[in-house]
Amino acid sequence: MSRKLAVLFLAMLVLAGAMGLKTVIACHNGGAVMMANGAGLPPPIKK
Amino acid sequence: MPGPFDYSIWILCILLEASVVVCSLLRRSFRRYFTLNLYMMASLATGVGRYVVLARSGFTSDEYTYFYYYSDAILTICLYFALMGLYSFVFEELGAATYVRAFSMLLLAGTALFSYGVIHQSENRMLTLYVFELSQNLYFVGLVLTYLLWGAVLKMRETRARVIQFVLSLGVYFSLYAANYALDNIYPNLNYIWMHLPQLISTLLPIAWCYAFLRFSEDARLVPARLMVIPR
Repeated sequence: MSRKLAVLFLAMLVLAGAMGLKTVIACHNGGAVMMANGAGLPPPIKK
Repeated sequence: MPGPFDYSIWILCILLEASVVVCSLLRRSFRRYFTLNLYMMASLATGVGRYVVLARSGFTSDEYTYFYYYSDAILTICLYFALMGLYSFVFEELGAATYVRAFSMLLLAGTALFSYGVIHQSENRMLTLYVFELSQNLYFVGLVLTYLLWGAVLKMRETRARVIQFVLSLGVYFSLYAANYALDNIYPNLNYIWMHLPQLISTLLPIAWCYAFLRFSEDARLVPARLMVIPR
């Protein structure tokens, strides 16, 4: 049981860390988006 | 509109992704590194698909926009599973495969729920916004997971050269994208650079994986402690 809880706790900790990192990086949000993954030019974002 | 440079990188990226799958087949490592190959095959199919949609509908069309961002989300999920495949390799000797699977599913579900929580009050284009938010959030989860995996590789003295090469290349890949994203936010007036740089970065992962398959055999070993900076 404790191992299962540890796995759950670790998963939530990683999620919190990742979202914290995203917030820090995007704090000067100029409307940028994270564009990646494979070939192709990203299209302009439509508001 | 994409210019000759963009098309050149596009074609180069597709060729490199195909090379990774061919190299793993030639080295008889396709099944062992299935999740990595799955990501490369998905990326290859997406690259071709994006080109077809672009040629038919145009760069500013809704079709291309939707296809681009939906395929990006699918690729991000594939990349997440590729990363989890590497986690399984590193932790396989501990017999922790069940826990790694549970961890990856919980984290994926948590990210999906969090993304829903962010956009659930939106009334228009909810599914599109959700896919977009999920893709963005999974990127940052992948970035954190890659650094944690590198820590585990060093701590557990992982010596398989291919695994080390895959983990390091993913770390560089995620970090460059995150740096590009951060700089785009800080210097939005240089948007032309930040728009085109990800295309160049996207070629690095297939190059590194091709190199790993061709340069190292499955039995090749490396001492990861040599890669650490040792304080004097």
